[in-house]
Formats: sequence, C-alpha cells, structure tokens
Amino acid sequence: MGAPVVRVQGVAKTYYRDQTPVPVLEGINLEVQEGEFIALMGPSGSGKSTLLNLIAGIDRASSGRVEVAGNELSQLSERALAEFRSRHIGFIFQLYNLIPVLTAFENVELPLLLTPLSRSARETHVMTALEIVGLADRKDHTPRQLSGGQEQRVAIARAIVTDPTLLLADEPTGDLDKRSEEEILVLLKRLNTEFKKAIVMVTHDPKAAACAARTVMLEKGALVAGA
Amino acid sequence: MKFLPLIWRNALRNRLRTFLTLAGIAFLLFVLIFVLTALTEMQAWEGVAAPHLRVVVQHAEGLTALLTIDLENYLKSDEIQRHAKNVTKFNWYGGYYQDRDNLLPEFAVDVGVIRELFTELRFSDDAYRRLLATKNGTLVGVGLMKKFGWEVGRKITLIGTFYPANPELEIVGTFTATDPHQEVQMFFRWDYFDELMNQQKMVSTYWMEARTLEDIPKLKELIDAHTKNSPAPTETVTEREFAAQFSAMMGNVKAIVTGIGMIVLLIMVMMTANTMAMAARERVTEVAVMRTLGFSGAGILAILVAESILVSLIGAAFAVGVSLAIFNVLRLSPNPVYFPVFMVETSTVLVALGAALFCGVFSSLVPAIRSARRKISDGLRQVV
Repeated sequence: MGAPVVRVQGVAKTYYRDQTPVPVLEGINLEVQEGEFIALMGPSGSGKSTLLNLIAGIDRASSGRVEVAGNELSQLSERALAEFRSRHIGFIFQLYNLIPVLTAFENVELPLLLTPLSRSARETHVMTALEIVGLADRKDHTPRQLSGGQEQRVAIARAIVTDPTLLLADEPTGDLDKRSEEEILVLLKRLNTEFKKAIVMVTHDPKAAACAARTVMLEKGALVAGA
Repeated sequence: MKFLPLIWRNALRNRLRTFLTLAGIAFLLFVLIFVLTALTEMQAWEGVAAPHLRVVVQHAEGLTALLTIDLENYLKSDEIQRHAKNVTKFNWYGGYYQDRDNLLPEFAVDVGVIRELFTELRFSDDAYRRLLATKNGTLVGVGLMKKFGWEVGRKITLIGTFYPANPELEIVGTFTATDPHQEVQMFFRWDYFDELMNQQKMVSTYWMEARTLEDIPKLKELIDAHTKNSPAPTETVTEREFAAQFSAMMGNVKAIVTGIGMIVLLIMVMMTANTMAMAARERVTEVAVMRTLGFSGAGILAILVAESILVSLIGAAFAVGVSLAIFNVLRLSPNPVYFPVFMVETSTVLVALGAALFCGVFSSLVPAIRSARRKISDGLRQVV
C-alpha cells in the first residue's frame, strides 16, 4: 500500500437554504491510498456526491482538511483549484456530460487543451485513451451517434487522458443498461489494476461496489463503515 | 487558436438562432456603414480642400448674391498679388444633362489658371491646349465620362436651372484627380458662360491661391476691407471654410447620424446579448463540466466572449462585404445628384468592425461572467 492520495480529516459541509443551515457532512475522516479503488455507498442524501465534490476540489469544505495529491485544497485559490483539477483529477459523471457539439476525439482532447502539449502530442494521447476504452474507431462520432455505454466510455477516456492522480466517478453506471454497466465496471477495474489508478466511485449498486477493494458507507452525513 | 474549433462549434450549435443573430448584426451594421458613408460624403469636399491654400471670395450675404466684375482688377493688383496668385472667376453653373436627376458639378472658370490653381487635377497638355483654343470646350472628370459613356470630341448640351442659358459644350479632354470626388466635375470657360448670359458679367465667387499659409489672414483682411463699403461687400474664406458652409447648411446631420449610430449599436448589443444569454443558459451544465475538467473561470469567460465576438465579426464581415460590393465595386449611389460619389472609406469599415467588436464583448460580458462565477456544483445539479 502506497502513500495516501486523499486525506480527509474532520470535514464538515453545511449548505444554507435561505438562511437555514443544512448540514450535509459532519466529522468525515477518510484516506485513499495510491492505486486503491474504493466505493462510496449510502442512501440518497447521505452526502456521497458532496464528499466526492470536496475531494475533486469543485466545492469547499465548511471545516476540516481535504488533502489530495499533497495539495491542501482549502488553501488554494479558485485559479489554483482549476489547475489542480486539470492535473490531478479525472471526473466521470453519471450522465456522461460530453459536449454535444464535439466529436468523441474532441471531447477527449478537451482537458488537453489546457496543457502545453502540441497538436500531434495531443492526438497521440487522445488516441491512446480512446484505444484503452475501445472506441478508437468511433473518434469522429458525436455523442448523439453513440450509445449510452459508448458515451460513458468516451467520458472515461476524457477522464484518463491527462493521466490524473485520481479518478472520481459519480454513479458511473447509474444511467446504463446491464450490459453497458458491466463493460464500464470492467473498464474501471482494468484502469485500477493495469494502470494503477486510484479510484473513488460513488454508487448505489452493491454489484458495482463489489468491484472496489474497499467500500465506505455514508449515512446522514457521517461515515458509518469502511473508513 | 486551439480553442477555435470549440468556439466555432458552440457558435453554430443552434444554427437558426446564430443565422438570425448574424443577419441582424449584418443588417444593422450595413445601416451604420450607409449612414456613416453618407456623412463622410457630405463632408468630402472639406477633406479635399484641406491640404490646399486656395481662398474663396464670396458675397457677404451668401452665394445667392453676385460679386462685381470690377473686383477682379483689385484681386489682380500688386497689393493682392503679393499674397496670392492664379485668380479666377468661379461660377457653379448648376445645370443638368438630359434629365433633372443628372444635376452636375459644372464650373465656369478662367481656364488659363486652372492648371496652376487645381494642381491635384491631371490632364494632358494636348487637352489643355484644346481647352484654351475652344471657346465652348470643356474638360471633364473621368468619373463623369464613365458614368455617361462620353468620349472626347462629343458635344453635349447642359440645361440651366438658375442661369437661363443652355451651354453646348464640346468635350476636349478628360482629367483624373487624387480624390475620386473631383473626378465627377467638369470645367468650361467663363467667357463662354458670360457670352451665353449676354455679357452680364455675373460672378458668383473668385478663387485664388495664397502664396503661403501666413498670407491667408492678410488676404481676408485686405479684400474684405476693400469691399466693405461697396455695393457688394465680400467675405473671404479658405476653400475648406467655404466647403464647411455647405455641411452647415445640412443642419445638425452629424448629431442625427451619431444618434442613429448609437441606436444601431444599442439594438445590436441587446440582440446579441439575448442570444448569448440563451446560449449561456443552455450550457450551464457544460460550463460546470468544463470547469471540473480544469478550465478556470477566466478561461470560460474568454471562450464565451470569443464566441460572441466571432458571431459579431462574421456579421460585420457580411455587412462590410456587401457594402463594398454595392458602393465601391458596382459604384451604386443612393442618390446620384447629391452623392455623385458614394464610396465606403477605410475609416468607416474600421468603425463598423469596432462596433462589432464592442458589441461582441459588451453583449456577452454579463452572461459570461455569470457562467464563470456560478458554483460548479450548482451547475452540475442544474437541469436545463
């Protein structure tokens, strides 16, 4: 087991509806080791996605520390957070969230536009990512021309193309049929075992959670098991 | 440049909406170009006159009153010739050719001095010799020659409007000029004009060239003082001031044109802002996804503003292209009498492009800033 990629210490998150505080997470402590694959489970409203957003640096904790790849996220400015996300985070959404006007190739290329890579280097990276997810032959297809499973595979290619430190997946199989779900889980497992990617996956599905090495349970904003 | 495909695809996301916005911008900018060109053309003479030292002596009551022929002797006297040279009588004949719509800028002048007085006109020695030798000869600008399909040697008859005479002129030569506005003029002999007017010696203005810039105030002082108590008191002005009188006659056209320009710009900004607001609203989730991928708020802002600028500039390119094709290539004029030349100038094109750029930036700023500032987690949750 390597050094922790994610270290969450005493994290709380409170939203405000009008002026009423709504606590979502409280006293969360969690570590994810390098190359570890963990599943984050819990009922709706338990704070799984909120915790994932805090780790991704797309939301800020109300208190406590979130450290990812050596970066204490509360200390980073918005600009530095954006740079942190582009370097260290690969995010996979439940609804794929591909840009509909771009082809599969261009969608995967999108995060690389933020890097100083040349056009040919970007092309090499994109094609490698598309080959890993088995969609190199669909590179010129737009999201509308792909099935849900294929879209999610393109989204995974987009998440891995920058070779991020950590992959975060928010219910990646939640919108897929059974066959596509299996394909995506196999792919995630492969990214973890073959490419040694640390993965944190939010899921409702025990079958999906079974792919992970460890399952962490959240309930009413607190970790109840697996931390 | 690497973001250009993304910006381009986003701009074409809703083709009908983009087309309508483009068409609206193009139409409004065409109106702006048209109005600005009209204003420029109204003031063109001032621009032509600016570099010269020409001085015009007119009646103090204005152009409808005539000067005396005796004044010419004074203007050619040593007292004035120390400060000026190339004095000529100068009457705008104000006749038309064949049709009242063809009211032409024809001038009756002392042709012996026009070569020295109007140095910007270029004509051959041969043409000039024929003009001096032919009493009813006329020297015609190449613009007019082309417009009416005339050729040298042709005889044309002008119909007088306020002078009751119809000169029958023979085209003895043509001239070109540095400014195309001068190429639609024609000159003929003042003595022929006077003959047609039964030697009434009607002089509407005298023109001359000051020897130096410093001589101009002296000329004004001497000539106007000389005629002060005469039946025809004068007002001596530079050619530029003379031209400016005509601009002033048009009233506060500049203010009207500026007003139209501002309204055009305002409509453009509102129209484009509406499009950009819709585009930004449709892309709330996409923007959140892009920011999750690592795009900064400033980066998102730049992409959205660039998209708006792209749409505005394409609209501007259409407007400029169509305007140049109509007015500069096909040489069409909205009113050939008032605008014998109606050409879009480079400065007008730059103003149109500037307006498009302003519209692109200003119309997208609010939606772009809102998109860039929205919390990513809120954007990801939003269902559009």
